[in-house]
Amino acid sequence: MRSLIAKYAGKMERDRSVVPGRAGIAAQDDVMLSEGAPDLSRLAADVLSHLSCLGVVAASPSLPFAEFLLRRANPDVKTIVPLDTETRTFLHDIPIVRREELAGNPARVIAALLSNRKGVIAEGVGIVASGPVTLEQAYIHYSSVFHACYVKYLLDVLQEGFLLPGEGEAFRAFRETFLRPLTAEGLSFRAGPLDDPGEVLSEIRAAGRYTVERGLVDSFFGNISYRVGGTIFISQTAASLDELAGCVDPVPTDNRSTTGITASSELLAHRRIYEATGARAILHGHPKFAVAMSMLCDVKDCPVKDCWKDCTRVRMLGDIPVVAGEIGAGGLAVRVPPVIGGPGKAIVYGHGVFAIGRDGFEEAFRSMVDVENRCREEYFRRLDTRGGHPSTSVSHIHSR
Amino acid sequence: MPEHMLIVDLSSGRMRREEIPPELLRAYLGGRGLGVRLLRERHTLSPFDPAMPVVFAVGPLCGTPAPTSARIEVVSRSPLTGTVYDCSAGGRFAWRLRAAGLLAILVEGNSPRPVVLAVTSAGEELLPAEELWTKGVGETVSALSGRGSVAAIGPAGENGVLFSSVMMGEGNAVGRGGLGAVLGRKNLKAVTVDGDRTVPVADRVRFDRARADVLRLFRASPVIFGELGISEYGTPALVDLMRQRRMAPTENFRRTVFHGSSCYSGPAIRAAYGAKKEGCFGCPIRCKKRASDGRSLPEYETVSHFGALNGISDLHAIVRSNDACNDLGMDTISAAATLSAWGEARGRFPSPEEIGPLLHDIAHRRGEGDLLAEGSRRVAEALGKPGLSMSVKSLELPAYDPRGAYGMALAYVTSNRGGCHLRAYPISHEILRKPVASDRFTFSGKARMIKIAEDTNAAVDSLVACKFAFFGASLEEYAELLAGATGEHHTPQSLKEIGERIWLTERFYNARNGFTRADDDLPARFFTEAGSSGEGIDIPPIDRARFGEELTKYYRIRGLRDDGSFPDDGFLGRQP
Repeated sequence: MRSLIAKYAGKMERDRSVVPGRAGIAAQDDVMLSEGAPDLSRLAADVLSHLSCLGVVAASPSLPFAEFLLRRANPDVKTIVPLDTETRTFLHDIPIVRREELAGNPARVIAALLSNRKGVIAEGVGIVASGPVTLEQAYIHYSSVFHACYVKYLLDVLQEGFLLPGEGEAFRAFRETFLRPLTAEGLSFRAGPLDDPGEVLSEIRAAGRYTVERGLVDSFFGNISYRVGGTIFISQTAASLDELAGCVDPVPTDNRSTTGITASSELLAHRRIYEATGARAILHGHPKFAVAMSMLCDVKDCPVKDCWKDCTRVRMLGDIPVVAGEIGAGGLAVRVPPVIGGPGKAIVYGHGVFAIGRDGFEEAFRSMVDVENRCREEYFRRLDTRGGHPSTSVSHIHSR
Repeated sequence: MPEHMLIVDLSSGRMRREEIPPELLRAYLGGRGLGVRLLRERHTLSPFDPAMPVVFAVGPLCGTPAPTSARIEVVSRSPLTGTVYDCSAGGRFAWRLRAAGLLAILVEGNSPRPVVLAVTSAGEELLPAEELWTKGVGETVSALSGRGSVAAIGPAGENGVLFSSVMMGEGNAVGRGGLGAVLGRKNLKAVTVDGDRTVPVADRVRFDRARADVLRLFRASPVIFGELGISEYGTPALVDLMRQRRMAPTENFRRTVFHGSSCYSGPAIRAAYGAKKEGCFGCPIRCKKRASDGRSLPEYETVSHFGALNGISDLHAIVRSNDACNDLGMDTISAAATLSAWGEARGRFPSPEEIGPLLHDIAHRRGEGDLLAEGSRRVAEALGKPGLSMSVKSLELPAYDPRGAYGMALAYVTSNRGGCHLRAYPISHEILRKPVASDRFTFSGKARMIKIAEDTNAAVDSLVACKFAFFGASLEEYAELLAGATGEHHTPQSLKEIGERIWLTERFYNARNGFTRADDDLPARFFTEAGSSGEGIDIPPIDRARFGEELTKYYRIRGLRDDGSFPDDGFLGRQP
C-alpha cells in the first residue's frame, strides 16, 4: 500500500496538478497509512477515518483556480457545477466548503461532504478526494476535480473577467510561467502502417505515454487505438494512457468475440471513425483549452439547453469541427465520424479532441497538439481583445 | 408512507397484514436487510423447521421508475449450506407485489396440503394446489397465468433437492441455496401477486435528476451498453473474456482454459438462437436473452459450468440442460458443479446425452440422482473424495476461478451464504475494470476492498437494485434516487453503514449456527494445483500463507477476532 501511495504522489507531481510537496495521501488496509505533507496527510487520514473508503487525497492544487471558483461564488452557494462532460457524467457537482465552516473539526466537515460526492474544494486547504474502491480512485477523483476547475475557471474568466484581488496576477503567472509551449518535437514515432501486433502494442504504449507527458490528457482519461486489418487494438476502459502495458484489447471488427467488453467506452466511436475515414490510428485526449473553447457558442436564444448532448449542429473553430454528444453509447459515436475525415481532427463539446492518423500516431499526435495550441491562442486572443470585459460570444465559431 | 407486510401461517391458514415499524426500514431498508432482520428470533431453527420463515421482500425503490430496482429478495436459511440465505431475482413479481400494497411477505408454518398463495391489492387467499403438485415450472406458471406474476417451485423443490430454486414466471431464478426445497417442505407450490397500486415519489425533481444521472452512466459503461456488453449479449459476453483471462473453470477446476468455449460464447448463442433482448420490469439494460422460440437462454455461469466444467462444447446440449433446470426448478450452477465433482470422482465427466436424464433423476431423487440431489459436498464425502467438491460452505463455486482473481478468492470464503461471486463481486474491478481496475494477482488491499464491497452490496440487495447497474452507476446516484423516492436523507456512506449492519447480522447468525474460521476456506486444490498458464499469463496455485494473512486482516477490519469470531455475544442486542 505504501508503494501505491508513493506512486500516486509521484503522478500528481509529474502531471503538475499539485504544488510540489503539498499532497497528503491516506489509505486504509487493516491499519491507517498516510504519507506526504504532514498537515495534509494528517487531514487525509482524519477524513478517511470517517469514511468507508480505501483512500483519500488532500492536496494543494498547483493552480489556484479551485480556490478562486470558491471565492467567486456567492456566499450561499454550496456547490459549483462545471459543465464539462466528465463533470456532468461522473462528478455531477463539486461541493465547496469555506474557511469558517472548517473551524472546529475540518475532517468531519469534509468527510460529511465526501460521503456523498467524489471530491470537495476546501478553502485554504485545496482539493480533497476519496477513493471508495481503490486508492487510485482517490487520485482519479482529485485529477477530475482539478481538470473540471481548470476548464470552468478558464471559461468564467473569459465571460466574467477577474473579480477578486490577486486573480489577474495569478492568471498572468499561469499564462507566462505555468503554461509551457506545447509541441510534438523530440518524440519518436514509428512510421506506419504497422502490421505486427507486437509493434502496434509498443507504439500504442508510447503514444499514450507521450499524450500524458505532454499534458494533452490527464493520466486516467482519454483512449487510443490502432487498426490492423479486421482487428482494432484499443486501450481498455479505466486505463491510464501512461500505463498501457497489458491494458490494450484486440477487438475483432466482426464482433465474433466479446473479449473487448473491457475496451474503452469509446470503442464504438473508434470503430465508426475507422469505417468512415479509413484511418489506422486514433488518439483521444482532453486538452483543457480545447475543452473550454468547445463550450463557447454565439447562438442567441437557442432552444437547446443541454448543449453537451443535445446540440445537433456542427460548429467550426477555424477548420476544426465541434460536435456535441454523450460518451459511450450516447451521441458522440454518431456525430464525430462524419466530420473527422477531412480535417483529421474534431472536438467534442466539453469533452475533448479526437485526432486520426492515416498510417500512424505521429499525424494524430501532431493534430492534437495543433488543436490545443490553436485553442490556447484563440482563448488568449479573446481574453486580450476583451480587456477584461465580460463576453459570451465567440466570433470564430460559426455553424455550418 | 406506512409500509406493510403480509404474514402467512401455512399451518393454520391464517393471514394478516401488518405495518412494518418505520425504524426497521430506516435501519435495514428492505429486501435482504429486512428479510435478515425478520429472521432474528428464529435464525437457529433448522431450514425445514415449520417455524422457519421464508421472507419475500422488495425494497423502497421498487415500483418507482428507478432503473433496475424491480427485484425481489427471498430470505431464509439454506438447507444446502446451513447459512442464512438470500437471493434476489428480477422479472415482474417484485413490482406487482409492491403494487399489491406490500413490501414483504413472511411465510411460516407447513401447509397440510399443497397450496398456492394468491395476493392482490384487495387481499390474499390460499388456493388448493394438489393438481399442480409434481408439475414442472412451465406448466405451473401457465396454469396460474391469470393471476399476475408467479413464483413457483418445480419437482426439485417438492422433492427436497438441496439446490432447488424458486422460479419466477418470467424465467428468472431465486437460485443457489435451495430455498425451493424450503417452500416444498411447506407445501407451498407457488405465490402469485397481482397489484394495481402506484408507488408515490416524494421529490420528483430530485428523483428524475438522479435517474438521468444513472442512465447517463449506464450509457458510458462499456460493460452495460457497449457494443460487446451485457445489454447486447447478456452475461455470456463474459465467456470470451474468462477464456482470455485464463480463469474459466474447466473439468471441475482442474484446468482454467476450455478450448471449446467459443461454441457457447455470446456471439455463438446469438447466431444459433437469434437471441432477443428482454428485461426485468423497468430495466433499460435488458440483459436477459430469449430465443426466437421464446425459450429463456442461459446465463454465463450456466453455459460455462454445463460447458467447460463438464468438458462439453455442445451449445444445444447446454441450452437443453438450462431448460431442464428451469422447468424442474433447480439451480444451474450447483447442478452442473455437482455433476462435475461426481464425474471427476468416478473418472469420467457426464456426456451431453447423460446430463438430461441425470437432471431429471436429481429432481425426482431417482437412482444416483438421490445422492446428487444433496449437492457436491455431500456427494464427494459419500464417495470418499471430499476434496473434489469445489465449494465453500457447501455452496458450489461459480465460473470464476479464484486462481485468476485473488479478491474473488477471498470473497468466496468471506461470503455469508457460501461460495458466491455476487456478495462482494470483485470481478467488477479485477476483471471488468469497473469502477476502476485492480490488480487481480495481488492480495494487497483486497481485505478492505472486499469488506467495503460486501457492505455496499448488502445495501444494494436491500434497495433492491441489480448489481449490474453498478458497472456504471454507484451508490452516489442510488442514494439520490432513494432520497428522491422517500424524501429521507441518504448518502453512500449511510447506505454502506446499513450494509455493514446487515452483513454482520448474517455473520452473527452463521456463528450461532456453528460456522467458524475453518469454514472460511477454499478447496485445497486451489492452493496446491496450478491453473492453465499460457499466452503470457501465469496461473499459479494461490499462496496459502498470504491468503490466510489477508483473511486475518479482513477479520480485523470487520472488528472480529483473528479466528473470525465476534468479540462478544451482545452484537444482536445492540442492533435495531
